[in-house]
Amino acid sequence: MLVPTIEFSDERLANGLRLIVAEDHLAPVAAVNIWYGVGSKHEQPGKTGFAHLFEHVMFQGSAHVSKAEHISLIQSVGGTMNGTTWLDRTNYFETMPSHQLELALWLEADRMGTLLDALSQDNLDNQRDVVKNEKRWSYDNRPYGSWWERMLAGLFPDDHPYHHSTIGSMADLDAASLDDVKGFFRTHYAPNNAVLSIVGDVDRGQVRRWVERYFGGIPANPGLPVTIAGADLPPVLGGERREAVADRVPHARIYWGFRSPVFGDPRLDALDLAGQILAGGKGSRLHRRLVRDERLALDVSLSSAGCVLGASVTAGWATARPGIDLAVLEAAYWEELERLATTPPSADELERAKALTEADELGALQRVEERADRLSMYATLFDDPDLVNRMLPRYLAVTAEQIRDVCRDVFRADNRLVMVFQPAEQAVADAEAAA
Amino acid sequence: MSADRAVVVAERPAAAEPRPYAFPDVARGCLANGLAVIAVDMPGRPLLTASLVVPGGATEEPADLAGATTLMARAITEGTRSHDAVALVEALERLGATLHAEAGWDALAISLDVPAGRFAAALDLVAEVAAEPTFPDAEVERLREERLNDILQARADPRRRAEDAFIGTVYAPSSPYHRSSAGTTETVGRLDAATSRAELARRFDPARMTLIVGGDLTGLDVERLAVERFGGWTADPAAMAPGPIDATPAASHRRLHVVHRPGSVQTEIRIGHPGAPRRIPDFHALSVMGAILGGLFNSRLNRVLREEKGYTYGAHAGFDLRRAAGPFAARAAVDSAVTVPAIRETLAVLEAIGGGVSQAELDEARDYLVGVFPLRFETAGAVVGALSGLVVHGLPDDELARYRPAIQAVTRDDVAAAAAAHVHPDELAIVLVGDADAFLPDLEAADLGPIEIERDAPSPDPEASDDEAA
Repeated sequence: MLVPTIEFSDERLANGLRLIVAEDHLAPVAAVNIWYGVGSKHEQPGKTGFAHLFEHVMFQGSAHVSKAEHISLIQSVGGTMNGTTWLDRTNYFETMPSHQLELALWLEADRMGTLLDALSQDNLDNQRDVVKNEKRWSYDNRPYGSWWERMLAGLFPDDHPYHHSTIGSMADLDAASLDDVKGFFRTHYAPNNAVLSIVGDVDRGQVRRWVERYFGGIPANPGLPVTIAGADLPPVLGGERREAVADRVPHARIYWGFRSPVFGDPRLDALDLAGQILAGGKGSRLHRRLVRDERLALDVSLSSAGCVLGASVTAGWATARPGIDLAVLEAAYWEELERLATTPPSADELERAKALTEADELGALQRVEERADRLSMYATLFDDPDLVNRMLPRYLAVTAEQIRDVCRDVFRADNRLVMVFQPAEQAVADAEAAA
Repeated sequence: MSADRAVVVAERPAAAEPRPYAFPDVARGCLANGLAVIAVDMPGRPLLTASLVVPGGATEEPADLAGATTLMARAITEGTRSHDAVALVEALERLGATLHAEAGWDALAISLDVPAGRFAAALDLVAEVAAEPTFPDAEVERLREERLNDILQARADPRRRAEDAFIGTVYAPSSPYHRSSAGTTETVGRLDAATSRAELARRFDPARMTLIVGGDLTGLDVERLAVERFGGWTADPAAMAPGPIDATPAASHRRLHVVHRPGSVQTEIRIGHPGAPRRIPDFHALSVMGAILGGLFNSRLNRVLREEKGYTYGAHAGFDLRRAAGPFAARAAVDSAVTVPAIRETLAVLEAIGGGVSQAELDEARDYLVGVFPLRFETAGAVVGALSGLVVHGLPDDELARYRPAIQAVTRDDVAAAAAAHVHPDELAIVLVGDADAFLPDLEAADLGPIEIERDAPSPDPEASDDEAA
């Protein structure tokens, strides 16, 4: 094993805040990472995009921090920070020069405890505008920009919590009110719905004292929502779905989407390796055949996004080389998926996929920020932060037969969503030709 | 839901005593053929990065073959005398290694990431790629066609379109910076395996190259490993040295260039002019000024355009410091309806920076740049990347060790002087990619300067490449 074991402490404050600390004194840096157990899956109908909008509001000040001061204070001591929202969670993180760790803890505690003291309609309106511009920039004004929203909508039924993406809809963003923000905060932003991980050049005992001092007075929410309705899902779509999309793009692109095993299921580990074998770089099967040998595609992709409610999303694409027959491209891509679903990969392919996975882990885990994020993730989703040490052994233990088996379960015609993006002019011409 | 009030600590904590930090020590060597070797030992960093740096990038190619350097870099891993492209990538994968070659404006680099225990075996492959690439015709032709198709993608993507329109507007056609470093449809159409071989032949001279290796080097004799793999190369006196670069501005007055993209829901804004080269005496003052103007989250630009007005998801400004004066640009994507107000706000920020900055702004920017320095260099890849920059720009080895004190010494006067020297409000080009129908009347009424409008012809079929494949 190339990747060293990460030693960490794991405890809870009286108010339920989970604290995980891993010391590493290689560099004078410290990462702080909080995962809140709330994501877009918790949003109610008509309130899509809310968890993410809320994440923006978390940077708008709290009782002892003015608007935009959170980021200013961190940057002015040489720290970096951000927040992200996903289907299953929201996280906030800072990487600090280690002698400035206490400041980051104070800032996180102040907003966890007192966000609503500083909340104003002006700040909400401002961040609503910012988020609407984020949606325009990341989705609406980008070639193929709607694919992920379409993917989730196609793979999950209307009433499933994953049916909509984290960015939400413009109409719902417009409708978000101050009362919505307050209710969301009171429901989800409580110490007993959070995991705080600290990794780096820190002293475990000192960290514990600081966290008790800053977070200890924040009350738990005894009424946290424990279950989400409508999450049960058949493991497969139950029939092929197809969608044609005319977009302002120069090249046609075919997207494939599949329901796949939930995050944490060892079958998803095998599917991750399948993604590596099929589309992980220039040695992969799809790249070799579609891009290099048959020259049907300009690029290919296939990977899984692990999710915990009902199913994960496995998605891929191939951008069509101009002039090729899309049906030929689609058939060739599918043939490679089916081939892996029928015949296990060779020992050499499996060995290469594992060597790359191991090097990737080594690279990712050398950064304190990534280690802190993984500890928070595994604690939040699985109550098992030690997975940070056990995921790589799990990948290395996957067999060729397990890869074949999970491909057989996932890459089924009755479990596939196929979306064909075509240049708008081409789509019009096709429609006229068909008429 | 709890009715309890949260009890938090009102008092902001003070900093603890800073822990010592020094940029890792650099050990220099040189092979008999002139190849420089730099080793940086970073104990506890078992993922190594090695980079073979060849000075001189896309600025050094003939104008009618623009993109030749980039294509050569992409093609160099497409096969060697001992391994075809697929065998090469498989050999790398077995080692858990990733290898990529890329060319920029100022240099070409072949870079490797690999776990330390397999470094020697992976370095064999780096040497092979550098010494005996075969540039198979079919693979080069495929990569050429991929670039031609990528140009079509760039035209369809408002952000990339804006970058291309911006450099085309601010630099004179005589300057290589006028176009993308990967070339244009016209020039890339002329490239092939022969141009790749020619580019390689006039650049790859061990006497001009540097091998940089970083990470936990315990048990590795980097210089010996380099001698074994690169010592047999002979210096090539015919190889070129990077020459002077033409960075002539296209104009020196304020003007607008609008790319009309009907139906766009945002306008991509670029406002700027040719900026500064990397090797300038006021580099540190320029860095501080750039952070205040458009680098920090609370930069003047982002504070106004995002946090006060909500016009954009983010506004930034900065200098692309190259061997010659790379572009200076302020950038934002804004709601189409506020295009003109966003331009006005941006211009106001750019006009005001020459008037100086406050002590608080200076402190925040300096402290950020000084404090974040150790965070930037957690990995071998980041350290090797920074050292590559020194090699490319001919900067001394202690440049990085000197960085923090030099930033700390920057004064308000220095920042004002850097702004006056490098930001020229009267010379700004304003480049917009968006739905002109949404803002053109307002833009004309604003009277900001002469307006040039580019309207797309219907998109042409991408080359005749499908014929060649048939």
